[in-house]
Amino acid sequence: MTGLYHKEEVIFQNSRSGKIEFNYDVPEDGELKLVFVSLGGEVYNRIRIKLGKRCDCTVYGLYIGNKEEKISFDIVVEHQDPESHSRQLFKGILGDTASADFSGLIKVDYDSQKTEAYQENHTLLLNDNARITTKPQLEIYADDVICSHGATVGRLDKDELFYLRSRGISLAEAIKMQQMAFLSDIIEQIKDETVIQAIENKLNKM
Amino acid sequence: MLTIKDLHASVDGKQILKGINLSVKTGEVHAIMGPNGSGKSTLAAVLTGRDNYKVESGTVLFNGENLLEMTPEERSWKGVFLGFQYPVEIPGVSNVNFMKAALNEHRKQRGLEPLSASEFLKVMKEKMAFVEMDSSFSSRGVNVGFSGGEKKRNEIFQMAMLEPTLAILDETDSGLDVDALRIVGTGVTRLKTPQNATIVITHYQRLLDYIVPDFIHVLYDGRIVKTAGKELALEIEKRGYDWLIS
Repeated sequence: MTGLYHKEEVIFQNSRSGKIEFNYDVPEDGELKLVFVSLGGEVYNRIRIKLGKRCDCTVYGLYIGNKEEKISFDIVVEHQDPESHSRQLFKGILGDTASADFSGLIKVDYDSQKTEAYQENHTLLLNDNARITTKPQLEIYADDVICSHGATVGRLDKDELFYLRSRGISLAEAIKMQQMAFLSDIIEQIKDETVIQAIENKLNKM
Repeated sequence: MLTIKDLHASVDGKQILKGINLSVKTGEVHAIMGPNGSGKSTLAAVLTGRDNYKVESGTVLFNGENLLEMTPEERSWKGVFLGFQYPVEIPGVSNVNFMKAALNEHRKQRGLEPLSASEFLKVMKEKMAFVEMDSSFSSRGVNVGFSGGEKKRNEIFQMAMLEPTLAILDETDSGLDVDALRIVGTGVTRLKTPQNATIVITHYQRLLDYIVPDFIHVLYDGRIVKTAGKELALEIEKRGYDWLIS
């Protein structure tokens, strides 16, 4: 049985600037699914999510920056009651001297037993001057929980690139295919074609 | 079609190819055999433009053009194909999108319009059947979760799609069971025409039962030390390489 609260949102930021706050208070049996798409600008996203009992929460975040753009995500998912599940997946690509900050906290309160919470942040850097600061954190006060977090920072895979080019796919197209592939598990969550097109347009400018 | 003259190449400062001379004409099948570390895969990598290999000296002409000056994709457009010893897995790129991008780029280079979705799928289906690949592979990530044999069949499928004039098959028989070997071997043979040519790099004689070579070259320590007809493979199978290199 699911509760009355069911929210699904795509938050699309195209070269947005400023500090933006997002607050969600999800009641018992509620479901929340958020997809952040942040393309450049100079934006600071402060996201606070509170989960009641037996909630299900998924947050996706995609960020692409070039030039001197700065993108920040500061997210706290707080499991206030037992038996809720939450997943966070943030992926980004940074070129030129762009930078991103990811600070993610999973907080599990004292009596929030049977919590399952996951958080991942993966970033591709296209050169030596792009920068990511990633800070995944867990703060757990209950003892019967499953939680994990992880972060990776990588480069485009050279063997993949050569394989694509050896089949006649041009360098620029091959790089774009790799980038879209890297982001694919988040892009799959987006139904709005204009947003997907905006992501492709942004990658074309990298 | 292909003329290699006195080719020297190195990897990380280490000299691997030490003066290769090889001439391949249309309609021919050449096998390159030799023990591990003799430079077989380096030759394939240099011919297809892998970037960590450095050509020190020598020339490679492909249909009169300097192959060594071309990017990997330009070599592909000109008709060079490498069947990889270790095909690369590309999660997030489906086989169908990969081949559509490749084939349509080839068409664009020849001044042709891209194939329509239905035309493309028809060609793809036909070529997949050719290597006995299940159609479910088309939507899967490139080589992701494929068995060794499936990866090699996928290489031959790509070769069938792109119809190269020069196919270089690098240890395509490694890791194949008997059935996959038959499918790959007969697949390559059926793709052979009087207008194209094949270089088969292999350790063993068994692939050459299917792909019968016109010439066998033995590569050792960066040089071709012997060239003979197909009967040489049988002799190598029996006697090994020692008698050729000592």
